[in-house]
Amino acid sequence: MSEDHRLQISFVVNGRPVDTEIEPHLLLLDLLRDKLALKGAKRSCDMQVCGACTVLVDGNPVSSCTYLAFEARGTDVTTIEGLADGEKLHPLMEAFIDNAGLQCGFCTPGMILAAKSLLDLNPRPSVEEVKEYMRGNLCRCTGYKKILESIEDAAQRMQG
Amino acid sequence: MLKPFQLHEPTTVEEAISVLGKFGDDASVYAGGTELLLAMKEGLLSYDHLVNIKAIPGLDVVDYDESTGVLTVGATATHRALEYSPLVGEKFSLISDVEHRVANVRVRNVGTLGGNLCFAEPHSDPGVFLLLYDAEVELVGSGGARKQSVEDFILGPYETTREPDELLTTIEVPRLPEGSRHAYIKFGYHERPSLGLGLVARVDNGTLADIRIAVGSVGPKPVRVRNAEERLRGASLADLFGNTQSSALLDEAGRMMAEAAEPVTDLHGSAEYKEHLLRVFLEEALEEATRG
Amino acid sequence: MAIVGTSTRRPDYLDKVTGKGAYVGDLEIPGMAHAKVLSSPLPHARILRIDASKARALPGVFGVLTAHELGDMDPYYGSDIKDRPIIAIDKVRYEGEPVAAVAAVDLETAEAALDLIDVEYEELPVIATMNDALTDGAATVHQSNLCHESHYEWGNTEEGFAEADRIFEDTFTFPMVYHYSLEPHTVIARYDELGITVWDSAQHPFLVRNELARLFGLSLNRVQVVVPYVGGGFGSKSYIKIEPLAVALSREAKRPVKLAYSVEQSAKTVRRHAASITLKTGVRNDGSFVARDCQIRLDTGAYADNGNRVTDRCADQVPGPYLWPHLTVTSKGLYTNTGAAGSFRAIGGPQAAWASESQVDMIADALGIDPLELRLKNLGAPGDVIRQGKNPLDADIATGLKEAAKGVGWAGRGAKPVTQEKETKRGIGLACSVLNAGASPTSTALVRLHADGSATAMVSTVEVGQGSKGVMAQIAAEELCIPLEKVGVVASDTAIVPYDRSTGASRSTTLVGLAVQLGAKEIKQQLLDLASKHFEAPEDKLAFADSSVVFGQESITYAQLIRQMFGGPAGELMGRGYVTPQTEGPLKGLPVFWEMAVVGAEVEVNEKTGAIRVLRLVSVSDIGKAINPKQAEGQDEGAAMQGIGHTLFEELIYEDGQLLNPNLVDYRVPSFEEVPDGFETILIENEDGPGPFGAKGIGEGPIAAVAPAIANAVFQATGVRIKELPLTPERVWRALQAGTSGGHKVDALTEG
Repeated sequence: MSEDHRLQISFVVNGRPVDTEIEPHLLLLDLLRDKLALKGAKRSCDMQVCGACTVLVDGNPVSSCTYLAFEARGTDVTTIEGLADGEKLHPLMEAFIDNAGLQCGFCTPGMILAAKSLLDLNPRPSVEEVKEYMRGNLCRCTGYKKILESIEDAAQRMQG
Repeated sequence: MLKPFQLHEPTTVEEAISVLGKFGDDASVYAGGTELLLAMKEGLLSYDHLVNIKAIPGLDVVDYDESTGVLTVGATATHRALEYSPLVGEKFSLISDVEHRVANVRVRNVGTLGGNLCFAEPHSDPGVFLLLYDAEVELVGSGGARKQSVEDFILGPYETTREPDELLTTIEVPRLPEGSRHAYIKFGYHERPSLGLGLVARVDNGTLADIRIAVGSVGPKPVRVRNAEERLRGASLADLFGNTQSSALLDEAGRMMAEAAEPVTDLHGSAEYKEHLLRVFLEEALEEATRG
Repeated sequence: MAIVGTSTRRPDYLDKVTGKGAYVGDLEIPGMAHAKVLSSPLPHARILRIDASKARALPGVFGVLTAHELGDMDPYYGSDIKDRPIIAIDKVRYEGEPVAAVAAVDLETAEAALDLIDVEYEELPVIATMNDALTDGAATVHQSNLCHESHYEWGNTEEGFAEADRIFEDTFTFPMVYHYSLEPHTVIARYDELGITVWDSAQHPFLVRNELARLFGLSLNRVQVVVPYVGGGFGSKSYIKIEPLAVALSREAKRPVKLAYSVEQSAKTVRRHAASITLKTGVRNDGSFVARDCQIRLDTGAYADNGNRVTDRCADQVPGPYLWPHLTVTSKGLYTNTGAAGSFRAIGGPQAAWASESQVDMIADALGIDPLELRLKNLGAPGDVIRQGKNPLDADIATGLKEAAKGVGWAGRGAKPVTQEKETKRGIGLACSVLNAGASPTSTALVRLHADGSATAMVSTVEVGQGSKGVMAQIAAEELCIPLEKVGVVASDTAIVPYDRSTGASRSTTLVGLAVQLGAKEIKQQLLDLASKHFEAPEDKLAFADSSVVFGQESITYAQLIRQMFGGPAGELMGRGYVTPQTEGPLKGLPVFWEMAVVGAEVEVNEKTGAIRVLRLVSVSDIGKAINPKQAEGQDEGAAMQGIGHTLFEELIYEDGQLLNPNLVDYRVPSFEEVPDGFETILIENEDGPGPFGAKGIGEGPIAAVAPAIANAVFQATGVRIKELPLTPERVWRALQAGTSGGHKVDALTEG
């Protein structure tokens, strides 16, 4: 099951076009990490529970650990590496820094991307709405309180 | 980790069926993949061929026919599509309510209702609401198309009546009778639900004119509990809550639910506890669906 | 102080929010092979035969490691007790134990090779539980099923019981809990003729270095352990775990090898000790504590790991922060055929406090005394010797407890919070304990003042998320009187930075921070020498300000002094910080400091389902001085939330040695949904700690006190006492059922 079954796919990652040949069973997480050197998305639970591998496909979050890479063809993929505007950090990044919304940082890329997709959908979510939307992104360090504060702060920054 | 497979991307249902027919047990339909890929990564399932049906135009339809009152959900429509569809929200609010609570945002964004049904994972929410709606699935195989109620379609854990060369194409969901109200209670502390209890009720003149009850996640498959529905139908609301007589009636309905749902003892709790919860949540759901 | 005490921006945050921060799994080493491990499917079995010839012959395979390849060395290791083989030898002792390992060109090839390895086992009787381990004539995991035992006593407990008016005897159990640091164990190992280099997700790089050097017969300078960012530890990456396996495989494959574990493999590699603790406590009718006998059993699983220390610490902590005239403690660590247990945040603390603080509440109830008052009556005060032979208590637990009570709305034992919901009841509970924290005072630091007046602090504290890099920079900047952005921190590479024992036990700010401060002070002394000559003035007329030494109206910058010394635009000053048991001050004797564990919780219990909702949770820590207050709060919030996890639902479930829930679908950890509506951290700052600027460590306390606080709140809410964790809805429901019929409620009043 080798060469014959390779697929040529084109998609956009963080605003840049990517053309690559892949095997159908390649996972998006491995494509990003191993072939495109985008190491921000992490493998943790490997079962779509923890959210450490979260990336955005056309703006919506997916678990890239359980998402076939070929599915990304024709889409616009955003990873944590693509969120800052050059040197200028995204307001979510600023808010996480200022509110101590992270510790070890392993969940952080996925956490920030999930939060971005939430704020894109609902710019001023209530705390309950944040908890509900973000329940699939796990953090073992912070106890979540400062992440909630970070997201609330980011929502305000993005309004302002 | 995922073992290599050959990907097939048919563009028509016929083509998909022909590929499935050709490879038999060596092939699997691939829709959202949220369940399938997990099982394949774990080595629990192994296929040499995956048939991606998302390339088939129109299979992701979410469409409502006003004249028949039927919602058609294509096999590749995602949970998210149902969660956020204004049409579903307006006319099938039970679906959007439950879909909003399925798994997590990432799974809902990718996973499909059709895939969920065909995978038949017992700890799962959607089967319950489909049973409440008396939904039907349409399957197309080499021998032609057939329709079957969701109730009959799901046989048990990871088991449906779908033949290897059949494709689930659509799920048809008729509207609930006018004036129906619903409740869905989801309980558990694991990633997957430990219990899902759905209830639809129509109150007429202070009596329970119509009621539908379905239970999922506690046993091998989601079930409708028709004898409990029968037992409760016609009861007056005043009689249903707050006295010993009503308690006996609800106890009886609760027992019927337990009998139908066949709770199992697993990591989510004992069968005894689940039976108890069914009785508790029956009352809670009834109150919620008949309140106001 | 402008820098210390301020929630400054942590230097690691920018790396982490942008995804640039590298963890071991993100690193690529030239020529690196990828490893997979063949795990035992059986919990206890003799290995009759391993045939790996087909795997070795598979194209793309560089090497296969089995016990056979370790014939030239003593392959047993461990933090103290060397009972763990690098790879299973002759028999397997837990389901998941590595039996063979493959290094290959990629993971797919490695995985394919595993399928080609043929192992023949002969099943042995499984020691599934501690009861099995203690059964006479039972099979044994090692030579014996007793891993470690510790015992101490003072007074005469039997006489104490005779003096007591009432005696309470209860047994409490605590489950096996998994750390779930999001980054599972990961290591890249390179073994070659020059020595060993490992890129490691580890909390104790120098202890890894020492153990690898011993195992592979190398001098310390030939073993380098490099630790980049670590994706969470909580004790799971303490001491030594999979590093010897990766190094041995690299030696076999003759190239660097990356070994990245899955969550399932990590969960079987290390967990928290399950416990069964029986407390017999004698009290007077006025509530005075007289005597306590504590019998502790801890399940350390198949290997000791750090189980000996956990056994000791649990014994240390089980009396609580109280003054006992008579005390007897016996603690046994037992082997079973389950994954090994080792360090987990506040080692031994949660188990001990769960038992002790639950029983204190039960005693209060039986005596009709307010549980807050009962605690205050018996608490040790600062300066009291609460453990004979140990440093006196330095934490003001009474103040902490009162703060927690106030924060959570405690209004007395009869004053339950009210709720409108008919099926639910509310209650408030308190718990306090004390941890002998700080581990050993063995830390060093090197501080370098560069020719432009900027500085680098070199320490081996691992940035595991706690914010050590930022804190060390703050301490150095404050002490040196230079701006924070002028200080860089280089950490955790044993070939570059000086020795530190470990990153854990709440010790880094106190001990490594002190080393950094001492290093900075040594530089300041050198600057004084230079400035004294420059100004021709005595040292006592000189002062430090803004990167300069000041003499009256005159000043000279550090940069100028350094350049003067070296005669050009170059050179640097170096300051050493040595923290040892001989260091002046309170480090003589142990513990380095006592860490308080104080929690108040308000819960709502649904009596029909048994589900508990934590409405409010307040934790209090005595931090001495918060170097970075916001990140200190974050430490306690994280500890509290982990406590909520093992209180409400976390539990690794083994059945006959098979782990039934080795993944995040079935092993639940807290999510956003469990965040209490009221979630508060109180930090007491008296600047009286042994660390820099009066700091002492925190970040472990809350995890020890959450479970009893919640269970005590459940008792106030429902009148039902539960002695087993976790408090799953079903367990609570069953207790309520039994309570209504009289069973459990009587338990709450058990007396002798």
